[in-house]
Parts: sequence; C-alpha cells; structure tokens
Amino acid sequence: MNLLNTLGKRLLFFDGAMGTMLQERGLGPGEQPEPWNLTHPEVICDIHRQYLAAGADILKTNTFGANREKLSGCGCSVREVVAAGVAAAKKAAKGTSALVAMDIGPTGKLLKPMGDLAFEEACGLFAEMARAGEQAGADLILIETMSDCYECKAAVLAAKENTNLPVFVTMIFDEGGKLLTGGDIAAAAALLEGLGADAVGFNCGLGPEQMKHLLPRLRECCSVPIVVNPNAGLPRSVEGRTVFDVTPGEFAASMEEIAAGGAWVVGGCCGTTPEHIAEMVRRCRAVAPAPLPRHDRTVVSSYAKAVVFGGRPVLIGERINPTGKKRLKQVLREQDMDYLLREGVAQQEAGADILDVNVGLPEIDETKMMIRAVTELQGIIDLPLQIDTSSPEVMEAALRIYNGKALVNSVNGKEESMRSIFPLVKKYGGAVIALTLDENGIPETAEGRFAIAEKIVGTAAEYGIEKKDIIVDPLAMTISAGQENAAVTLAALRLLREKLGVHTSLGVSNISFGLPQRDNINAAFFVMALQNGLSAAIMNPNSQAMRSACASFCALSGADDRCMDYIARYSEQKNEPAPAAEGISLHDAIVKGLKESAHSAAEALLADTPPLEVISTRLIPALDLVGRQFEKGTLFLPQLLMSAEAAKAAFEVSRTKLGTCGESVKKNKIILATVKGDVHDIGKNIVKVLLENYSYNVIDLGRDVPPERIVKTALDQDVKLVGLSALMTTTVVSMEETIRQLHRAKPDCSVMVGGAVLTPEYAEMIHADSYSKDAMGAVRYANSLFGG
Amino acid sequence: METDKNEVLRYLGYRGKPGDARTLEQIDSCLAELSACTVPRSLHRVFPVEAEPGAVTVGGVRMESRDLRRHIDGCKEAAVFAATLGAPADLLLRRYSTTDMSRAVILQACSAAMIEAYCDGQCELLAGQAAKRGLFLRPRYSPGYGDFPLRYQKELLAMLDCQKKIGLTATDSFMLAPSKSVTAVIGLTAEQKSCHIAKCMDCKSQNCPFRKG
Repeated sequence: MNLLNTLGKRLLFFDGAMGTMLQERGLGPGEQPEPWNLTHPEVICDIHRQYLAAGADILKTNTFGANREKLSGCGCSVREVVAAGVAAAKKAAKGTSALVAMDIGPTGKLLKPMGDLAFEEACGLFAEMARAGEQAGADLILIETMSDCYECKAAVLAAKENTNLPVFVTMIFDEGGKLLTGGDIAAAAALLEGLGADAVGFNCGLGPEQMKHLLPRLRECCSVPIVVNPNAGLPRSVEGRTVFDVTPGEFAASMEEIAAGGAWVVGGCCGTTPEHIAEMVRRCRAVAPAPLPRHDRTVVSSYAKAVVFGGRPVLIGERINPTGKKRLKQVLREQDMDYLLREGVAQQEAGADILDVNVGLPEIDETKMMIRAVTELQGIIDLPLQIDTSSPEVMEAALRIYNGKALVNSVNGKEESMRSIFPLVKKYGGAVIALTLDENGIPETAEGRFAIAEKIVGTAAEYGIEKKDIIVDPLAMTISAGQENAAVTLAALRLLREKLGVHTSLGVSNISFGLPQRDNINAAFFVMALQNGLSAAIMNPNSQAMRSACASFCALSGADDRCMDYIARYSEQKNEPAPAAEGISLHDAIVKGLKESAHSAAEALLADTPPLEVISTRLIPALDLVGRQFEKGTLFLPQLLMSAEAAKAAFEVSRTKLGTCGESVKKNKIILATVKGDVHDIGKNIVKVLLENYSYNVIDLGRDVPPERIVKTALDQDVKLVGLSALMTTTVVSMEETIRQLHRAKPDCSVMVGGAVLTPEYAEMIHADSYSKDAMGAVRYANSLFGG
Repeated sequence: METDKNEVLRYLGYRGKPGDARTLEQIDSCLAELSACTVPRSLHRVFPVEAEPGAVTVGGVRMESRDLRRHIDGCKEAAVFAATLGAPADLLLRRYSTTDMSRAVILQACSAAMIEAYCDGQCELLAGQAAKRGLFLRPRYSPGYGDFPLRYQKELLAMLDCQKKIGLTATDSFMLAPSKSVTAVIGLTAEQKSCHIAKCMDCKSQNCPFRKG
C-alpha cells in the first residue's frame, strides 16, 4: 500500500496499545518495554499479528522510548533496538498490505529553558531513531504522545532532515485542548503544518469521547489529514493499578463519530486491545473520509498561541531594533539581555500581538545574538516573534530554534532575496513579510508595487508556499519627501487586499519621518491605512496615540463587538501609573522601595547634579541603609529587593545621562553563574540585582554553566571576582571543580559562593575565598575586595 | 486549595515576624496569578515494600537509604507520589526575574507554599482511601531528605510514568523539571503512632533559615 496515495481514499486504521499488552505479558512497573524487541521478539511479533488480525493497516513499532537517553544503561544501542522493533512488525506484516510506522515518543526530558536538554541535542536523539527506523525498513514515521511543541519541532525536523519517509505527528492534549506545556491546538497545528507534517492529530491522555469534542477545533485550523488515537477512556487507579473503562463496543461507537467528523486515520493508544481495534474497524470501515477543509487563514504562532491575521489589526512591536536607538545599541554591545527582555515584556503589556526582533549591528556576531535573543524571549514571553534580519544565515539560525511558526521579516521582489528566503520558509514554516521593491528599486505607483507583490506571490508558489503565508508590505515613505507618498501606499493597500487577496503590513511611522510631533501624523495615517485594508502594523505599542487610534478604529469598524474593549480600556483611565509622590527625596524613595518616585527624583536631581555624584552620594548611601536593616533582620528580602528595583530605576536614568555627557561609571567586572548541573537560579539573580545597584558590571553566565566556560570568561575579560551558586548537595561537586579550575588558571581571581546547602565550613572545604550567606554578604565582600 | 500566607512568609525568611503591607499585598496578587495560570497535577501508585538493612525495595525497585528505611519501618506497602505545578509557574518565575526581582522572590515563595499545600490536599485524599483499608499514612519522604539519594528521582518518575502523564521530568543532575514539583515515598502502616512527625523537627539541619518553631 502506498500510504500517501491511499490516505483520504479510504479510512486507515492504526493498531492499539503496545504497553498495555506487554504489561499483561509480564512487563514490570517502570521497566522499559523497548529492550523486549531483543529479548522477547516473538512476543512483540505476536502482538502485532493480533492487531493485524483485528484489521489494522498500520502497525506502530515498539520503539516509543528507543532513544539514546532512555536506553542508556540498558546495554543495547538505539540501532539494535529499533532494527529489532521494525523487524518484528515487518515479520508480522509479511504477506499483507499493512504498513510499519517507526514510533517515536518524547525524549523523557524537558528542553531548555524548562529543563536541561538543548534543542539540537533533542534533534540529535530523534535523528538517530529516525535514521535507524528508515534503514530497518519502516514505511513512515509516527511522532506521538508529544506534550511540548518545542520537542515536537525537534522531532519533525530530525525526521524530515534524516529520512524520506512520510511523517505523522500526534500530540497529547488535556480536556481543555491544552498541552502540558501550555500550548493550544491552534498553536500546535500552525507549527506542525508549517514544518510540513503529512498528518497531525491527537493521541493518549484522553478517551475517544473527549477527543471527539476537540476534533472540530483541530479541523478549524488544520488543512492536513488528521489522526486520532485515543486511550480506552480516562485512566483510573484501582488498588494502585491503572485501568481503562471504555469497552470495545463503546470505543468503536465513538471512533465512528470521530471518523465521520473528519479524521482520516484512527486507532488506539493506552488501554486499547485487539478487540477494541477489531470492533472499531468493523464499525468504521464504511465511513468515507470527509474532504479536507481548506483554510486561507494567515497565522503565526508561539509555543503557546496562534495569532490570526484578518480580524482586528495585528500590532507588531518594533522596539527591539537598534536602528536609531542609542541605548539599544549599547545594550547589544554589552549583551545586556535583561534590558532586551524587559523591552519585550513592556511591549506585550502595552498590547503588542507580535514582537519584532532585530539585533543587527555591524560590530557584533548577529547570528549568536539573534539565537540568544530569540531563545531568551521565547522563554518568558508567549507572543509570536517576527525575525527581522537581512542575513539569510541569521534568518535560518533563528527560524530553526524558534518555538513556533514565525513571522519572517522579510523577502522582497529581488531574485536573490526570494531564492534565499523562500526555501527557509518552506522548511521551517512561517509567514513572510514581502516588501514591494526589486532590482529596480521601489516603484512610484501603486500599480508598480502591486505588480511586484504579484511576482513574489507567484514565485512563492513555485516553492510550495501558499499565498496565505505572504503578507505584503507596500512600504510607507515619508510625506516630508513627497506628499503623494501616503496616497500611493494607501492605493496599493486597497489593490493588494481587493485584487490579490493578501494580507498587508506597514511600518507605519516611516510616513512621518522628518516631521515634528510624529505621533499625530502616524496615528492619522494608521487609521487611513486600516480603512484601506491594512491587516498589521509594525509600530511602537507604547505610543498612546497609536493605541487609541487602533482601539477607536476597531470600535468604529465593528471589529470591537459592542465597543466592549474600547469601553473597558477608556471608561476609567486608571491604567496610568501612580504619579510619583511630590517632593520625596531620592534617598527616601529608595529606602521605601518606590520605583516611580525614585525614577522622577533622580531625573530632578540630575538636572543640576552630575550623575556620578547622584550615584555616590544619594543612591549608594540609601542602599547601604536598607542593606544594614536587612542584615539586622528589621526588614526582609522582598523589601530589600523593592529598594533594589527603585535604585535600579534611578541608576538607569543616571546611566542614560552619563552616556550623553561621555562619562562612564568605573565598574569592576564580576562573573555570576549557577554551577553545572544546577538549574535553580533565583538566588544568583537576587545577588545580581544588588551587585548592579552598587555599579558592578555583572557578567551573568546563567545557570547550568560548565566550569570551562566560567574559566574562559574570567581569563578573556580579566575578571577578578566570580560568584558561584549551587542549590543541591549534588551540584556542590561542580562548584568545587569550578573553583579548582579557576584557582589554577587564574590565581588572582577570587571566588565567592552561596546557596541553600552551603555553610561557611563547607565553603572553606571546597576552597572558596568567601562564603556569602545572602546577597548583602556578596555586596560586602565585593566592596571589600575592590575597595568600593 | 488554600495556600497559607504564613508559610509564604516563612519561605521569604520572616522567621515568624509579621509581613509588611506591601509584601502581603504582593503575596495575594502572586497567589492569584499562579492560581490563574497553573493546573496542579499529581500521580500516585501503591506498591508492596520489602525492607532489608540499609535499603528498601518498593514495587521491585531497590532504594539504598538508611533514613528512608527507618522512615517506612514497619510498613508493608508504600505509595509512590509525584505532583507538579507545571511549566507555566516556571515561566512566570523567569519572567519576573528579569522585570521585577522582588515580585520574583515572592512568587517563588508562593509557588513553593502552593505545591506543598496541594501535596497535603492530595495526601489527605490518599489517607482517606488508605483509612478504608485500616491503614495510615507516614509523611512524604522525598529524595534529598536525609541520606535518600537524589538519583532515585528517575526511578520514582519512571514508576509513575510521570513524563507522559503529568509532564514531570528530571535533569541529568536529578533536579525536577518543572521545578515546582515533588516526588515522595509515603509509607502505609497499620499502626497509628508517630504518623505526623513535623518535617522540620525530623531534619538534621538545625540552622536552616526556614526551620519551623
């Protein structure tokens, strides 16, 4: 049987559970089933035969957990276990038309930043399995029981890059349609379709009744064939054993509804038996596959949610882009990721739907910085990202590690641009912003720009990229250079929407370049553009004018049902931050931990006091006072940190001022790291905030940091103090090793340590130079060392 | 599930002193934010226990630990238990660690108190089931307590199929991920005495800043 040709012509049937059957044959709790391929091949083959007899078309191999990570310590290799697993299924299928699916389950580990498995390591584990499966003769790859979009992406990429087999993917959702890692159905579907999965769907976790209710939600957002492999009901624990209650008859009845509801491939997971499958095949055989829904939705996604173009205007936050932003350039040069992340969070809080990420500066390694920015942003923000770079290499690196279906910024009508960008969009998935310019520049007419858009859409189709994944930007150019510029762009928008039927985007603020009070013009132009069909805007979400223009447009156009959002936002103007208390001194604002007051008090002071004087005579003494109260036990950690945040706000103002008058704070460098093996970093982060308050230049290497990296950084940047944190007795060993290496490689570098399990005695035993019982202890030691 | 605010203060190092108004306000808002974005999940399974000097075998898995052995002395069965607040709690923690460190530490303390309160609630349900069989629960005993090695995290997780069922895993250095999670062995015993030893009282760390009483 040719799978892809048969798919959709008739219903196809997967087999049922393997684990359940093996437990009946004596597999113990917690025992790995995969080595049974080698030790009990006849048992495995017999189970496959039973499912064949029941009418299954596709057999899932007993290779769910046959990855290097899970098999370590069992004495057999991935290749052996997979080869034996595929062989057992093929032996059973011999002489029939049944197909063998190389079954790939999750690694058993969580990917970074949740856990300690790197994305590329996960790809490697899956690649090894996929290659072994193809070599052993599997007909397709089934990636199943995935509960994390990111891990699922690694598996699909690995299967696609290393084999030529069709790839089916099923994920595990709860009754609310959420993955364990928080993603929803629309986000998962966008990701998987983008990656080119041949079929997607559900398995495990739920019974057929619950999956039946989720199926319409998947059909709404998915244009590829759907697979549904439920458990035999919801698991129940009886005297310590897991049991499933749905009988073969009940199972088959629900599966018939699922097949009629649009699934093309159905089968079973935990708790299902050959009886379940036989009954299901009997009842479903006559069901004809429903036609695939065709969706023209333009959608991008994060790991958690999807953003659809075409309803309300989609707001793309433009703040993470160094062009014209001095402070951000400095941030990128100093690799101050926290600043960048805070920009991201602030834009989300201001109402951005998508964040643009551009980290291109001539003097930095853009690929490295982009990978870092995307990784860290997607670790704390659940908005889709727009990858903004002119370098195809950087684009590929970012699309690869991005956890979702990205917005790609951008392609244009030049042959070279399309040749380098479209293959990336095809491989990794994505919607792409298409700029209406080509080798001849930017056409002056709307028709000219429309023609380029048509060419781009046509070329994209040759690469297998659909029109729905092209978002055309007909380019806004300043009216200060030519007043007809606005009219041309607006006319192009109309043409694109009405004649080409694509979604559109604009960098709205370009329209006002060179004019005073640009927000006035931007907001008015934004409304005009929306009225002419604009779907998305790259803009500053912090701009009140732009936000109210958008909210008003939605109320007027009917996109905001009964003006509910407008009313909610503007009926009480309570969202303004509390005005800073008048007359409160910087010293008091810091001691009381009032961030806004500290910010404005610092601004007022800086009007006639040099920044360095503000820092040394106001900021530091206030912090010292709070620090002493903390050490005395009269105030506590949350209050200390509130003061630290207030001081940070004041420090940030002073720093901007310093930048403009060419001075800089004399800062000693300190490396902070949570040692290898340790993923808890809150203690280290507390120390960091306080050290930064005291003007130290903290090089934060993060968590789970190998000793070699700490030593290398200390040597490269000639750092005289390293702070190490460890939480568990097991990781103090890494701490000791790091200290040993540091002392050997750089004897003039001191090491201070802290963490839950450490004591002064323990610290001395592992040869640390200093033990800090808390963050203030670290500050005191640094001050004594550097004479601060 | 009610999380005790005094527990949160204890985790924040207040040592029995009352919280200040702003911190208390933040605790309320952190607990609300956590409740809105997390779905706590747990698993348990009861296994037979065999004891030998210096080790116990629970459901066929041998665990070397004198302290665990002593802890479930006299039990013929034990429940292996796992619970997690899930990945979203970690995401929130990371997010606030970059934007607002004081809120991050309060959120950290709240999530620690919350997972404990959730485990207590789940164990009460377990105790109810055990009572029907005339059995009582010993307190939860987790890898890392006493001489019970952390490396048994992996075995406990595998015994319950935690990765697949509740998304709970361990790192190479045996830390639980997501981090706001618990695994434990809970002895089931027919004798009622000494069933509720306060965890802190039983711990050897006398100078721990979080010690109760």
